Amino acid sequence: MTVHNLYIFDRNGVCLHYSEWHRKKQAGIPKEEEYKLMYGMLFSIRSFVSKMSPLDMKDGFLAFQTSRYKLHYYETPTGIKVVMNTDLGVGPIRDVLHHIYSALYVELVVKNPLCPLGQTVQSELFRSRLDSYVRSLPFFSARAG
Amino acid sequence: MADEALFLLLHNEMVSGVYKSAEQGEVENGRCITKLENMGFRVGQGLIERFTKDTARFKDELDIMKFICKDFWTTVFKKQIDNLRTNHQGIYVLQDNKFRLLTQMSAGKQYLEHASKYLAFTCGLIRGGLSNLGIKSIVTAEVSSMPACKLNLHFL
Repeated sequence: MTVHNLYIFDRNGVCLHYSEWHRKKQAGIPKEEEYKLMYGMLFSIRSFVSKMSPLDMKDGFLAFQTSRYKLHYYETPTGIKVVMNTDLGVGPIRDVLHHIYSALYVELVVKNPLCPLGQTVQSELFRSRLDSYVRSLPFFSARAG
Repeated sequence: MADEALFLLLHNEMVSGVYKSAEQGEVENGRCITKLENMGFRVGQGLIERFTKDTARFKDELDIMKFICKDFWTTVFKKQIDNLRTNHQGIYVLQDNKFRLLTQMSAGKQYLEHASKYLAFTCGLIRGGLSNLGIKSIVTAEVSSMPACKLNLHFL
């Protein structure tokens, strides 16, 4: 059980942060293109899910999975999107993504006057705290499963 | 706590507002720090009136310093000063190992050059508080590693 990588986007599609822990295969396109692809896909899936839902929508798009990995999605009312790719053994992790948003992003980036909103996060403190938080998660193992 | 976040965000905006309305250059940097310090001075004067309205008169300077390190710091920053040193001849060094206005910024050396801007208001706060207690002083701050900071008080 492990975490592959993590993206954080803002409401305009700017990738605020990306980190990876276990990624055996790259996308084959430059990082900028990859972020745009990811954001475009999320945007489309969100509107698709709300349009085609046969019942009243509660939370909307939460996750998708393939035969190799699972993508978890969490969006805040301010449009910040936290996306985490894990392997298949991991259940719903909404509270983990919420913690990443509230205890890490809000505390260390929003409250940091030297981190302008809407740009990639440069703060070393944010990067290191996020890294140690993800490594401390119960479903993270140092060896890719 | 809501009020803590409010003060933090307001203080951050204040610093960037003062700097935005100034131009580039070393002189301007000093002027901005002075502006922030003077703002803190007036706020400190008012705060100390409010905090000491029910306490007894202070016996001596050391008593005043203890009040600043314990009660004043707790009321403003929700924690006490970690270390107070003095040479008993008017020089005091206050050390705060986790200064509330800097904890979100970094834990080490990143953004170190900007740290002094965020301490100017607090220096003025202390200077204003002391002045209303009858002590003229000079307060400076130094940051060698975030979020710890040292405040040097020099009584005149």
